[in-house]
Amino acid sequence: MILPFGVAAAWALSRGRGAGNQVAETLLALPLVLPPTAVGLLLLELLRKSGPAGRLLDLAGIDVLFTWKAVAIATAVMSFPLLVRPARAAFETVDPRLLGIARSLGKSRLKAFWSVALPLSWRGILAGALLAFSRALGEFGATILVAGNIPGRTQTLALAIFHRTQIGQDEAAFRLVGIVAAIAFVTVWVTELLQRRREKREAGAP
Amino acid sequence: MIELDVRLPLAGFVLEVRARFESSAVAVLGPSGAGKTSLLEAIAGLRKAAGRIAIAGETVLDSERSVNLPPERRRVGYVPQDSLLFPHLTAAENVRFALQDGGRGAGIFDEAVSILEIGTLLDRYPATLSGGERQRVSLARALATRPRLLLLDEPLAAVDVELKGRILPYLLRVRDEMRIPMLYVTHNAGEAVLLAREALLLREGRVEAAGPTAELLSTRTLAAIDPLARFDNILEGLLEVPSAGETARLRLAGGAALRVPPSGGSGERAVYSLAPEDVLLAAHPLDRVSARNVLEGRVEGVDFGSGDALVRVLAGGIAWRAHVTAEAARELDLSPGRSVWLAIKTQAFRPIR
Repeated sequence: MILPFGVAAAWALSRGRGAGNQVAETLLALPLVLPPTAVGLLLLELLRKSGPAGRLLDLAGIDVLFTWKAVAIATAVMSFPLLVRPARAAFETVDPRLLGIARSLGKSRLKAFWSVALPLSWRGILAGALLAFSRALGEFGATILVAGNIPGRTQTLALAIFHRTQIGQDEAAFRLVGIVAAIAFVTVWVTELLQRRREKREAGAP
Repeated sequence: MIELDVRLPLAGFVLEVRARFESSAVAVLGPSGAGKTSLLEAIAGLRKAAGRIAIAGETVLDSERSVNLPPERRRVGYVPQDSLLFPHLTAAENVRFALQDGGRGAGIFDEAVSILEIGTLLDRYPATLSGGERQRVSLARALATRPRLLLLDEPLAAVDVELKGRILPYLLRVRDEMRIPMLYVTHNAGEAVLLAREALLLREGRVEAAGPTAELLSTRTLAAIDPLARFDNILEGLLEVPSAGETARLRLAGGAALRVPPSGGSGERAVYSLAPEDVLLAAHPLDRVSARNVLEGRVEGVDFGSGDALVRVLAGGIAWRAHVTAEAARELDLSPGRSVWLAIKTQAFRPIR
């Protein structure tokens, strides 16, 4: 879900220069450094009905806190920098002259980005997406603060495992661990596979 | 027609070029770092420049009237020195990348592929192509946009010596068969003379000289400012191959025929290069020499360097360049108007196709 936004932010950061760019970069990196519970508390403050974002959402009739939407927001905020950083590094390795050539071959700025910068950076974006996904899967601190731990509604896998062990259902917890492990395994496997196939093709193997 | 009035600040100096060209091919010469590539990039719209640029009557840049067309609307085909193919696309995809939407470009794709003879390379990725192959694909890609102007940045520089001349015939075909005007950056005066009627000589961002190629490059100006400059004689004509055992003849446009090593069949167009060091000059008619080509000519001019001299001779309708020692030039009393005989060995002509 965060992919388009993350890629856009990474692109903007890789092109931009100057102080504004550095501030934006630092802000984006904060969720990496702060304890997740601190981020959760800030989000809670922001999203509660009397908070700045919460008031707007309330006007629109959207209830966020302690719903699945809060889970989505918390995991998105926490995993965002993990997507942006590798994607940005990948964009920076794309020769800007290639984009110039694409333009002079009749492509608009957007098309040049879409057909040159994006495919040449797919490796970094993929790596970032994978990191972000794993972070989202394991996110605990921020989620539990803004979404609570309501079974069947806002209980993520990570929260559920914690919950089960707390109430002594170790066997159920292990089953969940198995599910998480399977998801993780398949994700990493598929990314590796995509990467390997693409590399082989570009190196010129028939 | 190309009109340039460009100002562009670069790292060490300001590039300032004011020139106007009527012919379909213009050579741009000058030492490395003179601003040649930057000039091409400014024309393509890839560098922000001030001033005015008009191509075939259309103004693409006029900073006074705030006209500045983006690169995608300039219809200029740029072939950079290092080809800059898209590494994630095959040769065919690289060329197709340039086709305009709607499939109207299919004809030009086939034409570019056949003129540059890249049909067998189409499925390969740039990483697996040689330097010369990459340049041909890059040129085909630029042609596929149906450009009004081609910008060629030393298309032969990145190519190894053996392949060096092989791009040249393709460029001649593009010029003569597709009739696309070109701006051609090179260090080789011979290439410039062969391809372009007009030339622009740049030095540290300024126009050192501009005008007809043959006149411009016959002076020592180029040698003085560009240590990499080459003055090869480049000859183009139709091959005549008599019976086996005889040398081939290259029939030049002026009518004269030269004896050259064979490089193709009778009736084929061929291009040869001849180093100016390989041209022997004599003050009197030569009799019974092993060199198969002896031509009578007239000295057009002599440019003395330190210890050597570049002599320009008009013979058989061709402006030849001969490189001799200053001592020889004085002893033979080489000066404009003097009759001389040129002797050139068959083997000194190197085919470049």
